[in-house]
Amino acid sequence: MNIYLPIAEMSVNVFLFLGMGGAVGFLSGLFGIGGGFLMTPLLIFSGVPAAVAVGTEAAQIVASSVSGAVAQWRRNNVDIKMGTVLLAGGLVGSLLGVEAVKLLRQIGQFELFVALAYVTFLGVIGVLMLMESINAMHKARSGKPVSVKRPGQHIWMHKMPFKMRFHRSKLYISAIPPIAIGMVVGLLGAIMGVGGGFIMVPAMIYLLRVPTNVVVGTSLFQIVFVTAFTTILHATENKTVDVVLAVLLMIGGVVGAQFGAAAGQKLQGEQLRFLLAGLVLLVCIRIGWGLVATPADEYSISGVVGGRL
Amino acid sequence: MLAGIEMAEAQRRQPSASPARPPASAPQPKAESPAEQTQRSQPAQPVPPDTAPRETVQADVSSRAVAVTSSFTGTEIVIFGAVDHSRQSTAESGLYDIVIVLEGTPTRLVARRKSNVAGIWINTHSITFESVPSYYAILSTRPLDEITNPLVLRENDIGFEYVRMTPVQGWETGVTTAELQEFAEAVVRLKQKDGLYVQEDYGVVFIGRSLFRAAVNLPANVPVGPLDVRVYLFRNGQIISTYTARVRLEREGLELWLHNFAFRRPLLYGIFTVTIAVGAGLLASAVMKRGAR
Repeated sequence: MNIYLPIAEMSVNVFLFLGMGGAVGFLSGLFGIGGGFLMTPLLIFSGVPAAVAVGTEAAQIVASSVSGAVAQWRRNNVDIKMGTVLLAGGLVGSLLGVEAVKLLRQIGQFELFVALAYVTFLGVIGVLMLMESINAMHKARSGKPVSVKRPGQHIWMHKMPFKMRFHRSKLYISAIPPIAIGMVVGLLGAIMGVGGGFIMVPAMIYLLRVPTNVVVGTSLFQIVFVTAFTTILHATENKTVDVVLAVLLMIGGVVGAQFGAAAGQKLQGEQLRFLLAGLVLLVCIRIGWGLVATPADEYSISGVVGGRL
Repeated sequence: MLAGIEMAEAQRRQPSASPARPPASAPQPKAESPAEQTQRSQPAQPVPPDTAPRETVQADVSSRAVAVTSSFTGTEIVIFGAVDHSRQSTAESGLYDIVIVLEGTPTRLVARRKSNVAGIWINTHSITFESVPSYYAILSTRPLDEITNPLVLRENDIGFEYVRMTPVQGWETGVTTAELQEFAEAVVRLKQKDGLYVQEDYGVVFIGRSLFRAAVNLPANVPVGPLDVRVYLFRNGQIISTYTARVRLEREGLELWLHNFAFRRPLLYGIFTVTIAVGAGLLASAVMKRGAR
């Protein structure tokens, strides 16, 4: 059964895209991730224009993050003040990101930029995660307790001006680092079609020293609002949000996540992280290959974006 | 249509036209209305051989309006027509050739070329073409080079080589004419790969001494907009009559509504999409909760 996507302007197989949403949803349920970094490349590989993939994926991330954010909220795991500060940066970053997408499309470098961003971030995060999980598995095997890194000391960036007190996180730090982190994540999210949890969570733990119990909730809280804003901006500025495609992915994603979460119960944390690292690196290599391999055709054509050039 | 067949029948009963009649040189005025046609040949008196009515072509398409809906997966368009006053004795005589061109709306298009920069393939050169037909199909009774000479093809924009591609002002900077040619060829090649530029050398078939028929499959990715259909009647390599028709490809139903919504009220559309997403997320978590209990 095929359906014609109004914005992507292509006819796609409904079950293929439901399946893709389901598979990525399964993985996101399994690993507790948003899945944007898997879904966006998958959409691009299956022929959806890169800009439509990025714009539409923002909408899907809203759907997949909302339920998590609500659950965390109920458990009082959201530092609203910290989330709001991150959000302030995130909205600015998103605005810049959407403008960057517009500009990059006009000069025909958007696909390249997306690929480079993916290779860089997935490469770094994949390698770090792989090393960390191998270490943890090794330690677990030799019987030593896995140390939880959280030295409670302040680092230089916390001492910058505009100090604020974050009660829920038990922090008294400058507002500049969270705003900057929010901005970077918002910017990357808008360009790469991701929620940015994979950058936000480590940054909150290692740079801001936010207690781990509020990290995920606060990150989700921020992601919901930033991706909602990004969706609206992509819709107004780039006209690249395909609501039909988004709904297909949402349906698949919601169902897949249920099975993923159930399967995740059966695996240990280190094993999960090891598998996730492998997956991240695979996606990274696949995208990197597209950059260096000789293209089948050196030429490409596209419609004119933004009217003139 | 029917009138055309009757006329052809009527003509067969008349003394056969003299083959010595010189071939018509100037192309006929386009698209004569059927009413005019009928009126002109109404008095069915025997016509002297040397002033026998000139052959004209009439044609139409199977569907003048194609709806692009959510279930659009492409469609087949049949183009049929008749040669009035046909002088060929059978469908196989090959006295006439028919060339049908279907041309989509001219649109702006950017062609880019990648080069290897420090190991990475990057778009380095680009040319913006002012107007390139979004769709282009050529169907003919025989290969074009057997039907006529390049001059005639060029004059009438028949064939991929003669598709009008004008680069926008300022393309001259840093691009040679040869490169421009390469870019233009790449556009045709990529359009062919997408199934948007089609050529079928034996796509038009005579099914009687005057009736002909052709079918073209519009792919699902055919750009929405009107398609101009031009039908050329050739004899001895010269165009002796032309006819034009039009197929309108229009979005309809939900498809039209969503497209207009997204492009005319983008802010509202964005909010609408986010609302759906939030709703889906909340619904999922509500269902999940119930399932967990």
